[in-house]
Amino acid sequence: MKLVDKLTLWLVGVVFLVTPISMVISYRSIRDNIHEAEINRLQDVNDKVASQIRAGIPPHKYILDRPIDIKKIGVMPALQTNASSHNFYNPELKRDECRLDVVSYYKINNAVYSISTYNYIARSQLIVQGMMRALLWKMLLIIVGVAVTARFISRYVFSSFEKTLNIIKSFSLRQKEKIVLPPTTTAEFKQLNFFLKKMTDIALEDYSRVKEFSENASHEVQTPLAVIRSKLELLAETSINETQAILMDDMQNAVERLVKINRSLLLLTKLDNFEFEVNESITFCKIAKESIRSFDHWIQLKNINVIQKFDKEVTLQIHPSLAEILVSNLLSNAIRYNVDGGQIILTLTKNAFIVTNTGLPPQIEPELLFRRFKKSNQSADSIGLGLSIVKQICTVNNFKVNYHYGNGLHTLRVDFTEQQPVIKAPEETTEFIFNENTVLA
Amino acid sequence: MKVLALEDNKELARSIRDFLSLAGYICELAGSVEEAKNKLLTFSYDCILLDIMLPDGNGLDLLEFIKAENIQSGVLIISAKEALDDKVKGLEGGADDYLTKPFHLSELHARLRAIYRRKSLNVSNNNIISYNGISLNTDTFEAFINNQLLDITRKEFELLMYFMVNKNRVLSRQAIAAHLWGDYTDNLANLDFVYQHVKNLRRKISLINGTDYIDTIYGLGYRFKSTETEI
Repeated sequence: MKLVDKLTLWLVGVVFLVTPISMVISYRSIRDNIHEAEINRLQDVNDKVASQIRAGIPPHKYILDRPIDIKKIGVMPALQTNASSHNFYNPELKRDECRLDVVSYYKINNAVYSISTYNYIARSQLIVQGMMRALLWKMLLIIVGVAVTARFISRYVFSSFEKTLNIIKSFSLRQKEKIVLPPTTTAEFKQLNFFLKKMTDIALEDYSRVKEFSENASHEVQTPLAVIRSKLELLAETSINETQAILMDDMQNAVERLVKINRSLLLLTKLDNFEFEVNESITFCKIAKESIRSFDHWIQLKNINVIQKFDKEVTLQIHPSLAEILVSNLLSNAIRYNVDGGQIILTLTKNAFIVTNTGLPPQIEPELLFRRFKKSNQSADSIGLGLSIVKQICTVNNFKVNYHYGNGLHTLRVDFTEQQPVIKAPEETTEFIFNENTVLA
Repeated sequence: MKVLALEDNKELARSIRDFLSLAGYICELAGSVEEAKNKLLTFSYDCILLDIMLPDGNGLDLLEFIKAENIQSGVLIISAKEALDDKVKGLEGGADDYLTKPFHLSELHARLRAIYRRKSLNVSNNNIISYNGISLNTDTFEAFINNQLLDITRKEFELLMYFMVNKNRVLSRQAIAAHLWGDYTDNLANLDFVYQHVKNLRRKISLINGTDYIDTIYGLGYRFKSTETEI
């Protein structure tokens, strides 16, 4: 739920809660005021009657249009004036009426008189009814007013917040510039922006430091490796015996492995840094065919049958070196994990490059295959970075890569277009189909 | 051939000089851009090995100096930085080739030879490499033994050429694999293919009664043995 809606609901809730209370208060004060005014008037009537009696003028039955009732009583009561109201049904008007009686007591010439008069006043029910009608309108106006203005105000108040959100949404550790958040006058947003800025700045700094370290490490390792390699080559030129030769071979293999791991890691770092931006398209099928040709010998050695289904003129916007690495990594995987006398089907269309090959079932989770140094079987003839590189190349070029195993076939599919209209085949009809009109409880 | 190696790592520089001396080249070393400039102004070289990251400057700047001074040497860049824009800049700046560290010395040698061949246009038949009846045409990728065409694949041709350029050098299987397939393939099984390739090449050479100059050096690799040294 949106914050505006939440706040609106709370506000409306408060209004709902407060209004009845305020209504009771105002009802009471209205009623009391009406009563008091009426009581005062009737009291005045009583006073006039009393003064007439004092003056010895016989009082009329009505004074100031009010009927008068005069009684002589024995004792003067504690209260000089007594007001009471009561409702009754008026059969003539066929409605309820409210009558206010005011009795006043006077001591005149040693006799105590009770003078009483009455009037009909607005019934409290009528006041309540009137207030209710007003209340309905009031509530409606408040709700509409709050809902509408909240939206307008929130758009204004939250505009900087929305901008901050958008900036954070598009934030990536790989970006080089620090984020710039919009200025705001709201204290909470100011605080939020402050924290976000601090957090992202630190993250960017740390990330670039780590990246710099790995880059430097990889680069700095290159020269010592070159020294080792060259010295080994020179050593091979000297007179050495068989035992030494075997030791040197092992060393050379280890150096080779180091070189490959280092190169691959460097390549991955470069891919991370988007160092392979291109603006021109290349003919992908040509590059694919060339790199496939370089595997001819290996394919023959394993007696693998390769079927190529290539569409002509498949052009892609990708760095040529990356295209080559992509194809050769996929293909070398397909050969390495193939069985003797197996098969590889290579399909290239405008939208996808698919490598399907026979082979033993994978021994690890398919998702792990794209992780660095994860290998389906820990065969020694690979360093386990091939598919990570494939994945990274795909990420950089907005391709999608996925792996699938079924019927003894491994399929690696690289989709060139981002949007894949993959429509899932309808599953077995084991699910209930609800009628459109069915009410789901 | 006379080579100037501009490399600030002394160990590596010495390795390069030792290896090239074994091949009969004259190799001089320079550890800084300044030193290299002085040497280039005083002497003439057939080839220059150029490291990009140097203590007193960028090797790419030296390329401009070479151009400005109209020095005709071939230039091979050797760099630890595999940045592609460096490669492009280097090649656009007038370098003939680009080699990434760590390289095999035999590979360095082969690249130097190739540059040298391309540069010496005045020599006729510069696209032919020959030795004792074996001749390789680097334009058509055809190999002849005693004027008989040798039926070999492109990779086998490259292998034979690699051997002939690095005569009397022990070529490790790793160096051969790197030469034939490059460094990028995540594929260490290539070493077995080297064995297959060499076997096939030798079989094909003996099929047309050519002399088999290739020796297997147990545990180390192979060597193309000859009696004379290249100048």
